[in-house]
Amino acid sequence: MSWLAVLIALAPENLLLAGIVVLIGVEICASSSRAALALSCVAVAAAAMAAAYLYVRGYAATPFPGHFSIGPAGSLAKAVVLALALPVLLLSRDDFREDGQFHILVLSSLYGFCLLLSSDSFLTLFLGLEIMALPVYVLVLLAFKRPESPEAALKYLILGGTATAMFLMGVSLLYGGSGTLSISVFAAALRSADTMAMAGVTLILLAFFLKGAIVPFHAWAPDAYEGASIPVTAYMATIIKAGVLLAALRLFGTEVVSRPVDDLLAFLPLVSIVWGNLAAMRQTSFRRMIAYSSIAHAGYLFYAFLGDGAGRFQAIVFYLVAYGLMNLLAFASLPAGDDDASRDRLDNLKGLFQRRPYAALTIGMAMLSLAGIPPFPGFVAKFLIFKNVMAAGYTTYAVLGLIGSYLGIYFYLRVIQYMFMSADEPAEQGRATRRAAIGASVICLVPVLLVLVFPGWVLARL
Amino acid sequence: MADATLLNIVLFLPVAGTVLLVFIPKGFDSAVRWTTFWVMVLQLAATVVLYVHYDAAVPGLQFETRIPWIPAWGVYYQIGLDGYNVLLVLLTAFLGPLVVAGAFSAIKKDVKLFYAMVFLIQFAMLGTFVAQDLFVFYLFWETMLIPMFLIIGIWGGERRIYATIKFFLYTAFGSILMLAAVIYLVYSLQATTGITSFAFADLNRIELPLSVQLILLSAFGLSFAIKVPIVPFHTWLPDAHVEAPTAGSVILAGVLLKMGTYGFMKLGFPLFPDATRYLSPLLMTLAVVSIVYGACLALVQNDIKKIIAYSSISHLGYVMLGLISLDLIGIQGAIIQMVSHGLTAAGLFLMVGMIYERCHTRDLAAYGGLAKLLPVYSVFFMILTLASIGLPTTSGFTGEFLVLLGAFKASWPLYLSGNVFPLALSASAVLGVVLGALYMLRFAQRFLFGLAKAPHAPVADLNLREKLILASIVVAVFAIGLYPDEPLRKSELAAKEFQQRVTSVAIPGSAR
Repeated sequence: MSWLAVLIALAPENLLLAGIVVLIGVEICASSSRAALALSCVAVAAAAMAAAYLYVRGYAATPFPGHFSIGPAGSLAKAVVLALALPVLLLSRDDFREDGQFHILVLSSLYGFCLLLSSDSFLTLFLGLEIMALPVYVLVLLAFKRPESPEAALKYLILGGTATAMFLMGVSLLYGGSGTLSISVFAAALRSADTMAMAGVTLILLAFFLKGAIVPFHAWAPDAYEGASIPVTAYMATIIKAGVLLAALRLFGTEVVSRPVDDLLAFLPLVSIVWGNLAAMRQTSFRRMIAYSSIAHAGYLFYAFLGDGAGRFQAIVFYLVAYGLMNLLAFASLPAGDDDASRDRLDNLKGLFQRRPYAALTIGMAMLSLAGIPPFPGFVAKFLIFKNVMAAGYTTYAVLGLIGSYLGIYFYLRVIQYMFMSADEPAEQGRATRRAAIGASVICLVPVLLVLVFPGWVLARL
Repeated sequence: MADATLLNIVLFLPVAGTVLLVFIPKGFDSAVRWTTFWVMVLQLAATVVLYVHYDAAVPGLQFETRIPWIPAWGVYYQIGLDGYNVLLVLLTAFLGPLVVAGAFSAIKKDVKLFYAMVFLIQFAMLGTFVAQDLFVFYLFWETMLIPMFLIIGIWGGERRIYATIKFFLYTAFGSILMLAAVIYLVYSLQATTGITSFAFADLNRIELPLSVQLILLSAFGLSFAIKVPIVPFHTWLPDAHVEAPTAGSVILAGVLLKMGTYGFMKLGFPLFPDATRYLSPLLMTLAVVSIVYGACLALVQNDIKKIIAYSSISHLGYVMLGLISLDLIGIQGAIIQMVSHGLTAAGLFLMVGMIYERCHTRDLAAYGGLAKLLPVYSVFFMILTLASIGLPTTSGFTGEFLVLLGAFKASWPLYLSGNVFPLALSASAVLGVVLGALYMLRFAQRFLFGLAKAPHAPVADLNLREKLILASIVVAVFAIGLYPDEPLRKSELAAKEFQQRVTSVAIPGSAR
């Protein structure tokens, strides 16, 4: 391929890279958070549009054969998730007023995300995963708003490192058995009965479980989510989760899972659904609650791999979009508090409807959608996954998963109860207007309403 | 102009109304109230036009709309009127303006949100009735929960949070199992016939082995049984009713409870006929237990709202009994009983709300001799009490009488023929009528007669608004009681179709 073709094929990545370079320059010359925000938004929006353009054109190319290829599905996923990153950047307006580092780190992480979506070999996939994850360890620490932040970051770093090690070990086993680094080895190993291949698959799968916070590898998530500041938590809950799942999807492809992997793939996510939903009931911190909810949602997402290969991409991407939008919507509408800890307390939401009806309604909508209550997008997404799981013949797992999802309804309702049905209202503290956050919530609300009214139209395009 | 468009307009008017409310600035509470009221009246008018143009002699759907909504899943936005839902749609539209008007003075807090929620629940209820596609039905069915959750939780009584979360969790549990059954059902259809469809018409064609039918009917049935509610799934109802504001109780008793019986009639029984016949002794027993148990509990309550709440359980037991009797007369009686209970229970809850607004207590012992203090109120109350008991010339009589006729003629599985059990069951249902008279008359006697006392004397009698609300209900109650032929004709074909569908098998208890 000519260098121009490579440039076009990698347009989203290149735009992000350009954004990073310019941001570093700006950070050195004139540290201005306003400029950094604008620049990073432009870079991400441009990258998303470039990916969308490649998707619409149906562009497929292999700039680096065996390592890196671009297809419409990957471009679509890139466009969608990069678009989801925009509200995250807007959210940061209130929490990262002073420094532009946040934007540089987020853009680097997104670069890694784009890389892994196009990876054809374990090498690029690994690079992508790590480039995506490394900046987040720093991001968790960046806020430093509370003493727990370093601990959370360290915990996240160590467990993330463990996942990396497990992933590499699994890859080396697969490589040892096949002699190639191509990710198609993974799908082949799923079919084989070879012990070494099975061990490799299991290790890689467990690495993804760790990164995706599946019980019993979930312990880092509540601490990391609580320790980070709100935009970073939002970033972890949406983009990182999407990255991990899409990386796993890249490996699984359309390969049908069979015994014994399917039991592993069903059982631990099922436990996650149940445990995440049960543990979330007891939380008093909003971010911790969202962390446990994300553990449960990771369970639904991994469930999607049980479904037959063809519908997998649609189910996962649709779920990630619905889930990501709802999380972002909730985070964007979160009211201000005295300090970070009080802002995070669920009590802070009491009587919110009286103070900020719009925020209360959007958070309420987000909660109901996360709970999977119709008619909100979360329901359609959950329906799609369970429909596929049942179609693949896993009726028992589907029913158990649905009952597990029922357990989650209570704690989402409790948030609504606090906002609408609580008499005592904490006095409004802190900044009065948060225009950027409201902008972020509006950005999320538009696609939510679109999915609400025309789910068929959206599904047909995935 | 009575065509499919009008039905869509009826369905989406509440949504339009909600949007309208958003643009009314804060502080204009009475504008909010009147806007809601007139939109509801408009909806009722449009529904009446539909009802009048509904041709009872034509089987199947009328005013049908069918638009692909999620083509990939075979989901269509399909709505229409048929004999099953036409009366219930009219009932829902009829109660709409009354609920709104009844809440004029009671709701002072967050008025806009309240009426928006009333609009949304109206939308969801109508949608559930007119939906002809299982996916759309499920969406509306579940959506109903959210506004009700808020109505009880925000404007309810002291233990409102407990009551509303209990209500939500109870009903959501049934719905989750129903969802699993829905997915399974659609896949069975796809596996056997090759079509992916959620349309009721397609699903009705599916033939499943008895064992699968039993599981699916249990899943659907649990969801419906919780909504009805059938004993032993009823414990959410007294709490929800007692804590809900008047408007919430009226919606709950008037329409929401009928969702369960409508679900059984439209989906549960026709989709799984073999399982229905197999389980009919059990279901019939549960229906009679609901009748008698509900009545017994109503007999010993001292909270006036609870009396009516438990009476609802008893009255809906009749509906279930009529449906499961699988006898044409019984089925028609059940449909009439649904409408009748919707009117009388709504009326009684409104009246309880009116007295509560004046005296702020629901304790029966605090009242007495209201006939002297509030003569007009007492007249209306007595009429509704007698209608609830089922006195001839009122709607209650038509419904209960036909149901009991049907119960005695019910078709039983072969192994129970010649057994005394069916007769004993039907006789117990008749006992329920006696108990019904007992608890309602006890209520009326202590409430209206005896030594005149009220917690806040002097109490003002009904004002014009309240009189008009109650008068319209009373008129409807007598209309059905005196001329039952009209509603019976509208639902006759549906009742026949239902009966045929559920009983059309040679050997009872076997798969087709």
